[in-house]
Amino acid sequence: MISFDLRADYPGFRLEAAAQLNGAATAIFGASGSGKTTVLEAMAGLRPEVKGPISIGGLRIEELLPEARFIGWVPQDASLFPHLTVRGNVEFAGRSDVSEVAIDALELRPLLDRRSPELSGGERQRVAIARAVAAKPALLLLDEPLAAVDRPMRARIIPYLASIPDRLQIPVVVVTHDPHEVLALASHIVVLDRGRVVAQGDPRDILGSPAALGVLETLGAENLFEVKVLARSAGVLSLETARGGRLEMAVVAGFPEPARVAVRAEDILLTASEPGLVSAQNVIPAGVSTLETLGEHVYVRLESGTDRWVAKVTSRAVAKLELAAGKRAWMLVKAHAIHAFDTRA
Amino acid sequence: MTAAETVGIALLTLRVALVATVFAGIPALAIGYALARFRFPGKPLVQTIVALPMVLPPVAIGLALLEILSIKSPIGRACEALFGQTLILTWWAAALASSVVAFPLIARAAEQAFAAVPVRLENVARTLGCSRPGVFRRVTLPLAARGLLYGGLFGFARALGEFGATAMVAGRIPGETETLALAIYGRIEMFREGEAWILAGVSLLLALVPTAAAEVFLRRGER
Repeated sequence: MISFDLRADYPGFRLEAAAQLNGAATAIFGASGSGKTTVLEAMAGLRPEVKGPISIGGLRIEELLPEARFIGWVPQDASLFPHLTVRGNVEFAGRSDVSEVAIDALELRPLLDRRSPELSGGERQRVAIARAVAAKPALLLLDEPLAAVDRPMRARIIPYLASIPDRLQIPVVVVTHDPHEVLALASHIVVLDRGRVVAQGDPRDILGSPAALGVLETLGAENLFEVKVLARSAGVLSLETARGGRLEMAVVAGFPEPARVAVRAEDILLTASEPGLVSAQNVIPAGVSTLETLGEHVYVRLESGTDRWVAKVTSRAVAKLELAAGKRAWMLVKAHAIHAFDTRA
Repeated sequence: MTAAETVGIALLTLRVALVATVFAGIPALAIGYALARFRFPGKPLVQTIVALPMVLPPVAIGLALLEILSIKSPIGRACEALFGQTLILTWWAAALASSVVAFPLIARAAEQAFAAVPVRLENVARTLGCSRPGVFRRVTLPLAARGLLYGGLFGFARALGEFGATAMVAGRIPGETETLALAIYGRIEMFREGEAWILAGVSLLLALVPTAAAEVFLRRGER
């Protein structure tokens, strides 16, 4: 059992986060600025200004130095030691059987003699994960571990990350703002919003709760749809919304089927006439119902059948397309812009 | 001036510059690290004091050193008790004077080199079980090495050419304290311009060889 009750005051931001992390893999979920990285770094002992108890398996660790906590930390930017090779990084804490397992599991063997400037973002992240795991920590903290990893590699890394708690008996806490990663990696979720824990529990229950939906809206996912899967082909799922709309969504092999999907309002392109051949997999005819101006941006509310959509465009685009209530428009949504945030087990 | 004399002057100059770089390097490293990594009251004052030898006339530094090393001061009396004489008019005094003028160059380079090492890397090393001294040895020092080496070279080059402060505290005793800079000045005073030019050429060689060697070393490290 891992628990924390953390307090800190920063200019314009107060952290008051208490949670009990049940299960071997926990996701700390929240929008940017919610304090999730601060919580993670405080657990690693890197935020002395954050006060309050942190306990792992009944052992209080808040007074311990980072080197005495046995907590592995993988920062978002990987932070590899640039003067060392990949092998030097992975074996920084010492050579072990675990480091060899991690090297193979994360497909690092061809890279062992390279240095970090010669690696791609995804390769760097894999090395950082292997380095942390090889130190045999009592707890592994991952800060947005897949942020810099491309989709095919993500699909290969996720099963490895998901297997760490069972395979190596290391509990994992992963920070993310991606609901799909929560579902793929975690059996417990803590939702942070502006420095406070607003929900925690089983991700399948919590991600559909008002608290998580609030975070999703903060993330900009204003278009939320319940869906069922009609067909799957070549990395694309054909979905039907509860109100009969059709969506094509890009997926990664191994991910569970979505029960709900979200689309960010700013990921929607609008045209005033029916487009010809375009790469976007979703070309959705709709009627403009309202326009709400917010500074230089305009939220365009649209109706397609009985599905309601919101698109965020510039005021210049509104003028150019002569958008107005009652006019027709076409929404262009890439298959990759549709995100699952709730899945069927 | 015989070849043996020229070699003797060059070797003495090298010895003085090397010892001066070590004398200055150790505290410069510590102060550079403290300035790069810690916030403390009076930090701007410390930075100003560190930079002082760069802006003060070397002769003024020599005057201050003369006072500090003289028999009237506790340091002078301690040297007298330990070695049977003060350090004044010895090559040690020349090394000390050179180290004072080289110190700000090394300290400033060290501060910049340490500041350029991301704290995040040090933090990662700590979460991997490395103690603070271990982090310094395995992460901070190797990553700051280039900057430190440059600082050391600048300091060494400055010490090689030191004149004003050295002349004040070490004098110009042939074979004992007469470094290249002092010897060139002495030859000009004696209207032996040709010898002065030879010594100037030797100075150039002494400065070029380590600089070129360091450049090669650093380029190899980049690969």
